[in-house]
Amino acid sequence: MQTRADADVPALAPPRLDYYGASHVGKVRERNEDHFAIMALQHSARLLLTNLDDTGMVQRLSRPDAHVFMAADGVGGLAGGEEASRLAVGTIMEYLSEAASCYRGTDVGQEQEFMDRLSAGVERAHRRLIETYGAERGPATTLTMVTLVWPRAYVVHVGDSRGYVLRRGRLRQFTADQTMGDLYVNIGRGSEEQAEKLGLYNILSSAVGTDMAPVVGVVDLEPDDVLLVCTDGLTNHVPDARITELLAAAPDAESACRELVDAALAGGGRDNVTVIVARFAPASG
Amino acid sequence: MIQKKVCMVGVQGTGKTSMVQRFVHSLFSERYLSTVGVKIDRKVISVAGDEVNLLLWDIEGRSQEQEVPTSYIRGAHAVLYVADGTRRTTFEQLPQLRDLVRSTVGDVPSLVALNKADLAEQWALTRGDEAALPDAGLHHVRTSAKTGAGVEDAFHWLAKEVLRADPSRR
Repeated sequence: MQTRADADVPALAPPRLDYYGASHVGKVRERNEDHFAIMALQHSARLLLTNLDDTGMVQRLSRPDAHVFMAADGVGGLAGGEEASRLAVGTIMEYLSEAASCYRGTDVGQEQEFMDRLSAGVERAHRRLIETYGAERGPATTLTMVTLVWPRAYVVHVGDSRGYVLRRGRLRQFTADQTMGDLYVNIGRGSEEQAEKLGLYNILSSAVGTDMAPVVGVVDLEPDDVLLVCTDGLTNHVPDARITELLAAAPDAESACRELVDAALAGGGRDNVTVIVARFAPASG
Repeated sequence: MIQKKVCMVGVQGTGKTSMVQRFVHSLFSERYLSTVGVKIDRKVISVAGDEVNLLLWDIEGRSQEQEVPTSYIRGAHAVLYVADGTRRTTFEQLPQLRDLVRSTVGDVPSLVALNKADLAEQWALTRGDEAALPDAGLHHVRTSAKTGAGVEDAFHWLAKEVLRADPSRR
């Protein structure tokens, strides 16, 4: 279990942000091939001295502009999968810290540029994996990255890790799994049952480090929403209804993460499990 | 390159995502997965010698309990309304959707796609319905994301109108 912090998110009447992330090796695997990161992006001036009495401005200058939540589930056997997810998350963190000045406003071009930078971080991780391990049969990783510039969540998604939002008691998945099973059904080759029987849901159709087709999207969040980013070690073991109950009942993000990981372990724990929860409680005072 | 945001707007299940899939990836799936939030695709097309990068915002469909969030529509240069020609209610909701869009971005180039035209036997719209669209100032095209009929035409017509409406190009 790692990472705990509370912070205010900037922008329009931002709610109080409570977030936490947890990753567990599970009950069967020897290695944890999942990695996650939660980052604050800050691209602002630091006030050293002033006689201005606008304390609000001083506060705004010291706040992060955006938060990034990302989870990656490596595949590739031996140490490959572990290295792939580590390299991908590390490379994206490095890229974003160098390149992601924060977008704020309504200009379509600037917003698109911001989204392009987020995608470029994933592209860089993809290239680095290929440079390191070669383009064929090298390790690869899923990657679900949510960048929050309140209230907008920008999503870049590759593979079968998932992003959900819990709003007014309803859990909705905003990512679509990229597996051969999903592709098989989507292009009308066969049914979900056939895809299941062929084991196609265990094979990624898109992954960082191999054939990659990132999907980009946005979700506008509301106060009281709960954001969940997770690897399939959770969703293969815990049904959506149970995830909903646990997220709704938890008093804070840390408890939610612990409960979700425990539920995955109780459900079998055959895979590594990683969860990131962010809650957006209305700002007080 | 010229870059334009095109919003896909319509009731749930009218085929907005399928139209984008057909236009961008030349694919069609019978499987229905509802969009949550917005899925963003892009396609560069050529319009009268100009390269235009269309940013296609496939916005989750409006349902009875949920309005289309206007925040997604902000900054749109064009809107493609999608109705399901086999479900009359999806057509009847267009005026409301149009009011919402107009109150957010004003009068931007717009087109109505009457989708699922391949399902001719189930077609629920009358000639009068379709004839009323030009009177309301809306160009329309019958489309089928399944066969591809009308899909390219719809996006190309919209791109052409967007360029024509662009004050920086006059």
